[in-house]
Amino acid sequence: MITDPLKPIEPEMDISDKMVLIIDDYQAMRSVFRDILRSCGADVRKISMAASGSEAIASLNKSQFDIVLCDFNLGPGKNGQQVLEEAKFKGLVGLDCIWIMVTAEKTADAVTGAAEYQPDAYLLKPVAEAVLNSRLLKVWKKKQAFMDIYQAMKQLNYPKAINLCDERLTKDKANAAELLRTKCDLLFASGELDRAKELLEKILIERDLPWAKASLAKILIKNKKYDVARLLLEETVAVNPSFLEAHDLLVETLQAMSDFDGANSVLERAVKLSPNSVARQKSLGEVSLKMGNLEEAERAFKKSVALGENSVLKTEGAYIGLAKVYSENDNADEAFKVLGQLNKSFDTKAIRLKVLAVEGMVYHKCGNEEKAKLIAEELSQSLSKDHVDHDSEKSLEMARLFMATGHTEKAVALLQREVKNSPENIVLLNEINEVFVAAEMAEEGAKLVETSRQEAMEMMNLGVLLVSKGQYKEAIDAMRNAREVMPTNVRVLLNLAYVLIAYLQKNETTSGLIREARDSLLAANARSPGEARFVRLMDALNKLPPPI
Amino acid sequence: MNDLSNKINSLFEPRGGNDDETTVPSSLSMGSFLASSVHDMKNSVSMLIGGLEKTLAMADSENLTTYAELVQMNHEAKRINSNLIQLLTLYKLGQKIYPFDPQSIGVEDFLNSLAGQNGELLKSHGIALEIHADPALYWYFDEDLISGVIGNALNNAMRYTRDCIRLIAKENKGMLELRIEDNGSGYPAFMLQESVDNMRGVDFQGGSTGLGLYFSSAVARLHHNHGRCGAVMLENGGSLDGGCFVLQLP
Repeated sequence: MITDPLKPIEPEMDISDKMVLIIDDYQAMRSVFRDILRSCGADVRKISMAASGSEAIASLNKSQFDIVLCDFNLGPGKNGQQVLEEAKFKGLVGLDCIWIMVTAEKTADAVTGAAEYQPDAYLLKPVAEAVLNSRLLKVWKKKQAFMDIYQAMKQLNYPKAINLCDERLTKDKANAAELLRTKCDLLFASGELDRAKELLEKILIERDLPWAKASLAKILIKNKKYDVARLLLEETVAVNPSFLEAHDLLVETLQAMSDFDGANSVLERAVKLSPNSVARQKSLGEVSLKMGNLEEAERAFKKSVALGENSVLKTEGAYIGLAKVYSENDNADEAFKVLGQLNKSFDTKAIRLKVLAVEGMVYHKCGNEEKAKLIAEELSQSLSKDHVDHDSEKSLEMARLFMATGHTEKAVALLQREVKNSPENIVLLNEINEVFVAAEMAEEGAKLVETSRQEAMEMMNLGVLLVSKGQYKEAIDAMRNAREVMPTNVRVLLNLAYVLIAYLQKNETTSGLIREARDSLLAANARSPGEARFVRLMDALNKLPPPI
Repeated sequence: MNDLSNKINSLFEPRGGNDDETTVPSSLSMGSFLASSVHDMKNSVSMLIGGLEKTLAMADSENLTTYAELVQMNHEAKRINSNLIQLLTLYKLGQKIYPFDPQSIGVEDFLNSLAGQNGELLKSHGIALEIHADPALYWYFDEDLISGVIGNALNNAMRYTRDCIRLIAKENKGMLELRIEDNGSGYPAFMLQESVDNMRGVDFQGGSTGLGLYFSSAVARLHHNHGRCGAVMLENGGSLDGGCFVLQLP
């Protein structure tokens, strides 16, 4: 039990054959890191260096690295986090690549950034050889322990990943805490909310862990128990004022409860903790805009746009928000300028149509009805052509313009379709109601939303009802029809797959029906990843006998 | 916590910390001004330490005087660095923006790695360091903060021990107890009498700023579980009959 501190900790990990990338904007720091890595056993011929984010991306494109040592602050251009995000997003680094971020000080982002874009470890400057060595070893051991679990997760095989966690939990004490956390995430992702809740409550009896409370809140939100979720999250945030995930979940809860005032103040605190998140600044802009706080909205949207400039995770939302702020301020010229930038940065057809709809509203706001009408015309023509639309925000923008330019019927049809596609999405239904309110159709609109919602619920369940009566062919027809009407309704997609599989289990397998079921399942998973029924139905589909 | 954040703010803001908006702008900017300067100094010290480590690696360890001097210089630079980190951390705790991040940590590994970082210095001072910890002992704590606390206590023990230091970790009544014991002459009576929470502050004559203990106590109290929070204690005696620094974590 007595260890001689003078004896270096023997690395069981040989890094002499590892490809290493050092990313730092200072030449002096790059050499310091290289020297340290060399003393840790790295082969200098296998060490590459990059002096900026774009150089780093070029290197990562060229070769596969095993270890990346990256400074967070890289001067102008991308920062270290953005390099990591781009590398992961574009698949430039494998699951086994060890990514270590070096920072001058610990920040809130470092603790709870988006999990899929987290580095494996953070090191504080100055980096001592002993610390780097032991950290590399620790991360490497953890990677070994989690490799098969990550692989199963990547293949969306959650039951297998959960089994692997259980297996490892019986023998791996060093990673027990992380394994339990991963298991909770997996249970949640595969829709096993009751099992996840049970496990989380057991964990919380042992120890007050903020992440476990946040996970419990996630389950409450999923079950639409917003009041309880709010209480739990407010308590968690009060005790752990720097825990970002709880802030984000609280914002989500308050928005679902239409408490924008509350959401705004939580967002302000979250932004103070982590000023450099593209998504959080955008949310702050949106909530501020909703509350009519144009100054704050402008500041937040501008910040989000600026941060997004170097980020692969940027979205059009901040540009659109900023254009709306300018339009509200009667500054149409600036609004058009922002939309022009947006078109340049995101060159896809879907976004062009969305931008066009916003542009139409800017014209409407500044009194150029003629232009607004022309754009509405153009959009309504594009509408009949492309049928399936995955972007409800875009439909809402179009509906706003149609309402403003007198195409009320078209707007209503569009909004009804959105209700049917997502009849259980409270935030979206609220937004749709707001479009009706703005068009002075509040009462009528509320009725329309409710009827569409009920129609959708009936159609969604018709297939299952028919199957229970043994009317398989009728069930398939009903769900195919439902898919026509609600092409992105997740429950419809899952139910279509369900009735097809139920039919195939009783009848001869045909490749056409298998393809249809698979296509429907994948569409559901693309829209809402990891639904419990997706996992189960995929399993059932794979167990069908091959077609003759 | 209120008491703590007030104390911390008063470190930076002469008027005493206020969470509300009534704080006058000049004292507010003084706090952030100090914090940003500390941050900047930290960057310089980082470069300095990097350079020293490099020189140390190239230095001829046969030339004992030069080598020992370099080791000592490196140690002093690291001490400045850890003081700056502690100041910055206290500032952030007061502002409620410190990213507190408790994780499950293997205690023996953790202590070994801390000992490794001080290996050269211990060697040059001829001090033996023993670690007594159960390899199967895991505990939840913020690794960066607790390594600051233990590093600090270790530094202190190195100054006052005769030739031996023990790092002892054990579970005691549901708490993790980390003890740094030495075989020096122990703490003076006034330090034992005074509760750590009521530190009398800066003692310019004695060369002790009280920062280390203050920081340790703040960090200990930050750790909590089911209504219990951590604590720091000073004792004389222990297994080496010298000074003992005791950190308890829930």
